[in-house]
Amino acid sequence: MDLHEVQAHLNVWLQDAAVTFQKVPGSAVLIRYVRSSYQNDPVRSAIELVLVIFFIRYLMAPSYSTSKQNYVKLTEDEIDELVGEWTPEPLVAPLAAHEQAELDKLPVIVGPTGPKSKLANGKTVTNLASYNFYNFNANEQIKEKAIQTLRTYGVGPCGPPQFYGTQDVHLKTEADIASYLGTEGCIFYAHSFSTISSVIPSFCKRGDIIVADRGVNLSIRRGLELSRSNIKWYNHNDLEDLEQMMRKVAKEQAVKKLTRRFIVTEALFETTGEINNLPKLIELKEKYKFRLILDETWSFGVLGRTGRGLTEAQNVDPTQVDMIVGSLAGPLCAGGGFCAGSKDVVEHQKVTSTAYTFSAAPSAMLAVTASESINLLQSNPEILLQCRENIRLMRAQLDPRSDWVVCTSAPENPVMLLVFKPEVVKARRLSVEDQERLMQECVDEALANGVLITRLKSLPILHHSSILKDGAAHSVAPALKVCVTSALSKKDVEKAGVTIRHAITKVMTRKTNNKLGVPAA
Amino acid sequence: MTDKGGRRRRSSSILQVYHEPPEPIEQLSDQSALPNLNANWVNAKGAWTIHPVLIVCLKIFYDSIPGVSQETSWTLTNITYMFGSYIMFHYVRGVPFEFNGGAYDNLNMWEQIDDGAQYTPSKKFLLSVPIVLFLLSTHYTHYDLAYFTINFLAVLAVIIPKLPFSHRMRIELFSGNTDD
Repeated sequence: MDLHEVQAHLNVWLQDAAVTFQKVPGSAVLIRYVRSSYQNDPVRSAIELVLVIFFIRYLMAPSYSTSKQNYVKLTEDEIDELVGEWTPEPLVAPLAAHEQAELDKLPVIVGPTGPKSKLANGKTVTNLASYNFYNFNANEQIKEKAIQTLRTYGVGPCGPPQFYGTQDVHLKTEADIASYLGTEGCIFYAHSFSTISSVIPSFCKRGDIIVADRGVNLSIRRGLELSRSNIKWYNHNDLEDLEQMMRKVAKEQAVKKLTRRFIVTEALFETTGEINNLPKLIELKEKYKFRLILDETWSFGVLGRTGRGLTEAQNVDPTQVDMIVGSLAGPLCAGGGFCAGSKDVVEHQKVTSTAYTFSAAPSAMLAVTASESINLLQSNPEILLQCRENIRLMRAQLDPRSDWVVCTSAPENPVMLLVFKPEVVKARRLSVEDQERLMQECVDEALANGVLITRLKSLPILHHSSILKDGAAHSVAPALKVCVTSALSKKDVEKAGVTIRHAITKVMTRKTNNKLGVPAA
Repeated sequence: MTDKGGRRRRSSSILQVYHEPPEPIEQLSDQSALPNLNANWVNAKGAWTIHPVLIVCLKIFYDSIPGVSQETSWTLTNITYMFGSYIMFHYVRGVPFEFNGGAYDNLNMWEQIDDGAQYTPSKKFLLSVPIVLFLLSTHYTHYDLAYFTINFLAVLAVIIPKLPFSHRMRIELFSGNTDD
């Protein structure tokens, strides 16, 4: 077979191919297209051809996922083995002995709560463990209003606020709180604890920056966790450290895409009772362009001449605080919480705040009770004076006179937190557990002498969330909690103070507890 | 100092190429908490039809402007479509609506489609539209070199970011910031 034959074969084959190709429908169009597109420009035609070839290759390629498969492939036997080995942890861990003992001793109040409460064991005790600071619980005017509302509106609204759960009384309460505080608007939540946990994530998103106090309460921590924001912590109530942190954030952010920045802190701290410095906070927030979310849960109805909170106590215009979150559940004897701020802040929460949109509206009775309590505080500021006088009396009995404890709360704070003096902790080498146990003994001893107090109960700060990673650690000192009420007479307050002081001294001088101080030889 | 967000950058330079770091577990769980409404619609009925419809509308629009030749009209149609799809699929990152706490803030729409899987039917379709449009427009501009160059550059700009190798790839020019 020589070259000529090969050529002939090829020609025949090519002709056959051409005929077959012409028989294919649409081939004429393709030929015309190629012929017209060639136009004596081989480079351009080559580019187009490469594009078409690439296109066909792309279309033929099988699809695949780019997400990493980060699990190990196991055989059936291995799976069975692992399942067999697995023993589930109990859903609830069994209680420790001291926890069980505490649970058993938990006093139960029979009948109405008040300055003198009757316990389930038949004893009547002085109640210094409730947030009923002004005894609004027993106020006839509020009771009368509540009963009237109950008769007109029934028991509950049975629906979320945006689902016809909102009644005229809710709007009135919102307006009352807003005008009382002096803000543009206010939004009324059904549950106090979940208010700030929901307010924070409704404004702060992933990528935003929150600078928060290390000592903030559990509810705020939950909110911070849910927000997925970038959280920076500053030392508890240390505004110098806050400024340093803010300066750092401002510097880092100067070259980056702009994000929202927030300061989150409390007016009166739940875990230490200390008061914040609002004028300084406002100054810093204006300087470094942050927004301020202020938790007034423990200061609303407490601080200031008429109980408006930290803004009134430190003469700050409330419109300068972006969000004021407060509670209506404590001294106001109603229920639920609120967030006050500008109109935009309030309207935004009506659709994006989960605790507001997904829980049933508070009952009409609670709304009216809150309005009425606010009304009373506004018209009779002497209620607050009476309470402050009692705080002063109680403090005089405990703080300077006790050898063992010191009060960390601000002088206006009716929730008095008593912690062991540092020198006592040092001399006796008290661990946190020892302190907790001694505090519980003090509570039991005071109760035996007819005074009901409690201790600060805080959940340990969990480190399960990577959002709250570095710097979130903060130890809460064990403390006794004494809640003063204006309903007690001067004599009663002093008597209760003496009882508490003696209870502490008795516990601390007990032989068994004293042994703790003996250093292990 | 721990690294923030996992993105490491070297010191400032003219051109920086890096890949978007993998998301932490919390972000992944936020991403999968709800279907990604921003990207899933490309698989929906009618989402494919809208491309030819828009292109025809654009062509009619440019034809209706007096004084525009057929060549210019085709080129304008091509450029407009490429520009629009570049902005939509490759430039804008994140999700325009708030429903997952910003879990997709670092990804553009192309990377969100089909959870980042490659060579899926939608992606094949979305790649074929600009190529076919390009071939059509070069044909109708009668293979004029100037028009060809413009159209070809436009099609490259939307094809390259669609390729699997540029998945999560970021290019930064003249970025002076250092993360340390």
